[in-house]
Amino acid sequence: MTFAPLATEIFLLSMACIILIVDVFLRDERRVLSYALAQLTLLAGALISWSMLGNETQVVLHGTFVSDPMAALLKTSILLVTVGVFMYSRSYLVERDIFRGEFYVLGLFAVLGMLVLVSAHSLLTIYLGLELLSLSLYALVAFQRDSAAASEAAMKYFVLGALASGMLLYGISMLYGATGSLDIGEVAEAIALPGEQGIILVFALCFIVVGLAFKFGAVPFHMWVPDVYHGAPTPVTLFIGSAPKIAAFAMAMRLLTEALGGLYGSWQDMLTILAVLSLVIGNVIAIAQTNIKRMLAYSTIAHVGFLLLGLLAGTTEGFSASMFYAITYALMAIGGFGMVILLSRAGFEADRLDDFKGLNDRSPWFAFMMLILMLSMAGVPPTVGFYAKLAVLQAVIHVDMVWLAVVAVFFSIIGAFYYIRIVKLMYFDAPEGDAPLAVSPDMQIAMSLNGLAVLTLGIFPGGLMAVCNAVLS
Amino acid sequence: MGFERFVFYVFAVILVYAAARVITVRNPVHAVLHLVLAFFTCAGLWLLLEAEFLAITLVLVYVGAVMVLFLFVVMMLDINVSPLREGFVKYLPMGFVVALLIFAEMFMVLGVKNFGAQAVAIPERHGADYSNTREIGNVLYTDYVYPFEIASVILLVAIIAAIALTMRRRPDTRSQDPVAQVAVRREDRVRLVKMKTEEKSG
Amino acid sequence: MIALSDYLILGAILFGLSVAGIFLNRKNVIILLMAIELMLLAVNMNFIAFSYFLGDIAGQVFVFFILTVAAAEAAIGLAILVVLFRNRQTINVDDLDTMKG
Repeated sequence: MTFAPLATEIFLLSMACIILIVDVFLRDERRVLSYALAQLTLLAGALISWSMLGNETQVVLHGTFVSDPMAALLKTSILLVTVGVFMYSRSYLVERDIFRGEFYVLGLFAVLGMLVLVSAHSLLTIYLGLELLSLSLYALVAFQRDSAAASEAAMKYFVLGALASGMLLYGISMLYGATGSLDIGEVAEAIALPGEQGIILVFALCFIVVGLAFKFGAVPFHMWVPDVYHGAPTPVTLFIGSAPKIAAFAMAMRLLTEALGGLYGSWQDMLTILAVLSLVIGNVIAIAQTNIKRMLAYSTIAHVGFLLLGLLAGTTEGFSASMFYAITYALMAIGGFGMVILLSRAGFEADRLDDFKGLNDRSPWFAFMMLILMLSMAGVPPTVGFYAKLAVLQAVIHVDMVWLAVVAVFFSIIGAFYYIRIVKLMYFDAPEGDAPLAVSPDMQIAMSLNGLAVLTLGIFPGGLMAVCNAVLS
Repeated sequence: MGFERFVFYVFAVILVYAAARVITVRNPVHAVLHLVLAFFTCAGLWLLLEAEFLAITLVLVYVGAVMVLFLFVVMMLDINVSPLREGFVKYLPMGFVVALLIFAEMFMVLGVKNFGAQAVAIPERHGADYSNTREIGNVLYTDYVYPFEIASVILLVAIIAAIALTMRRRPDTRSQDPVAQVAVRREDRVRLVKMKTEEKSG
Repeated sequence: MIALSDYLILGAILFGLSVAGIFLNRKNVIILLMAIELMLLAVNMNFIAFSYFLGDIAGQVFVFFILTVAAAEAAIGLAILVVLFRNRQTINVDDLDTMKG
C-alpha cells in the first residue's frame, strides 16, 4: 500500500472539499454544522496520525513524501492545536458577523499545508507545502473584509512572505545546481562527498536561512510579526501564532539537519546570531508595548529565539528540546490569544493591556488561567514553560556554549517583567468597566482545558519529553 | 562569435533593460508592459536552453493570464500615480548601492571560476526528434504526482480566497433567475383579451 | 558557446534588480508585487539553466510548479490589494500606518 502513509493528508483533503460543498447549501443559522465537521475532521485526523507514531520510517511516492515518527508526533500536535484555535474562534466570528464556512475551509487547507511540510522529503514538497500554508494564511488575515487594519496587515504579510519565498527559492535553486538533486536524501549524500562545491553550498545556505528566518519571524527578519499579529482578526492571530511555529520547526529540521547536516558548522553560526538578536529585541521591545497583541508578538519573537537555541545545539538532545518547546509554546500561545478573544465582545477588541485590569474581580477562574499561562510564558516553575526553557538550556550547555545559555537566561528574566505586569493588572488593579463577562460554554471548556494542560504538563513533563526523545532517536 | 551567442546577448540586453524599466517607470501600466517584455525575452532565452514547454507556458500563462490580471487591477483601481513616486530619488542611491553589493557578491560566486565553460561542460544539443513536452509529461504524472496534487490544492485555495475576499452581493445588482425563467407558464406572459371586432367606419 | 555562468549571472542581475526595486518602490504596492515576479523569474532562470547543464529534467519540473504557485500567489495578492483599496482608497505604503509600535 503506497498510500497508507498518506492517510492523514488524504482524509483532511477529502473532508475539506466535503465541507466546502456542504457549506454552500447551509443557511446562516445552520452554519455551525461546518464548524462541527471541521472539528471532527481535525480530531479524527489527529487520531489517524497518532496511530502512525510507532511506524517505521518510510519514503514513498518517488522520494517526495516521508512518514516517520517525528512527522506523526508533529502532525498530531498541529491538528490538536488547531482544534483549540477553532474552539476559541467560533464566538468571535459569530459576534462580528464573519462566521462563514470559508474560514474553516481555508483553515483546514492551511493545516494540510503544514502536514505536507512536516512530511516533506524533497525540496519541491517543502516549497509547495510552505506555499499552501502561506497562501491560506494571507487570505485568512484579510478575511474580515471591512477592517482596514486587517487588510493592511494582510498586504504587509503577503509582500514580505512572498519576498521570503523568493529568497528561499533562490537558495534552493543554488542547492539544486550544486548537488544535482531535489531529494533530501540525495542532497545530503552529495554534500557529504568531498569536493570543491563548498562556497556554492554556503551561498545557497545563506539564502535558505534568510528565507527560514523570515518564516519563523526571527530578528532581523521580524518586521512583519508585530503588524500582522496586531492587525489580523484575533482568531487568525491565534492561528498564525501557534500551529505554524510547529510546522516551521519541522521545516528547519528537514532543511537544515536532514538536507544540509553536512554544513552544520556554517548554519550554527548563522542561527546563533538570529537566536541572540531575537532574544534581545523580542524581550526588550515587548516591555514598551501597550497593546497585548503586539506584546505577545514580540514575546513570540523571543520564544523563537529559544527554539533556535535548541536547533543550533545540533544534538539529538537539542532537537528534542526544541521540539518540546515548539509544541508547548503553541499550547501557551493559543491560551494567551484565546484570553484576548474571551474578554472581547462585538465592537470591543480587548487588546489593550488596560483591558486586563481587575480581571480577578470579574472572574477569578479565568484570571487564574491567565496567571498560569503568563507564568508559563515567563518560564516560572511548576508550569511547562519552565521545563521547555530548562531542556533547551541544558542542550546548549552540553555543547559547551555556556555564554549563550547565560544570555538566554538574562533576557528571559528581563522578559518576565512584562508577563508579571499583566498578573499585577489582573490582581491588584480595579476593573475599568463592569460589563459582565459573557463566555460561551465551548470557550469556557477550551480555556479551562488549556490552562490545566499547561499546568499538568508542567508538573509531569516526563511523558511528552519521552515521546519527543523517542521519535528522534 | 557564433550566432547563438549573438542571440543570447541580444535577449539578455533587452531583458535587463525591461527589468530595469519595471522598477523605475512612473506609471504602473508602463511597468506591467515592461514586465511583459521581460517575460517574452526570458521565454526566448529558455528556448536556447531547450526548455520549449516552459517557454511557451511562460508566454501563455504569465503574459496571457497573470499579467492581464495585473493590468486589469491597475486600471480598475484608478490609482493616483504622483504621490507614489515621492521618495524615489531619496531611496535611489541606497537602492543602487544595495543592488550593486548584492550583485557583486553573487558575481564572485557565480562567476567563470565555478560555473564557466571549463568548470561545467556544455551539453550536446538534442536532435530534432526530441520532445521536451514529452519528457516533462513522462515525469509529471509519475515521479511528481504528489507535488502535482498539492499544486492543484494550491490553485483551489487561490480560487476560494479570491472569491471570499472580493465577491460582494450588492442589493442593486440585476440578475436573471433561471428557475423562474424555466418555470414560466403561458398564462404569465400572454394575456388574451376578448373584444368585439371593430365595425368598419364609414 | 554560452556557458552556465552567463545564465547564472543574468539571473543574478535580475535578482539584484528586483531587490533594488523593492528598495526603490517601498511606497507602491503594485510595483512591489512586480518586483517579486522579477525575483521569481531570476529563480526560474537559474533552475532552467541548471536543468540544461546537468541534463536533469527535475529543474524544469520545479519551474513548472513555481509558475503554478506564482499564478495563485498573484491572484491572492491582487485580491488583497483590491480589499485594501476598498477600505483605504490608497495603495501608498506610507498611508498604511494604522499600526505603530
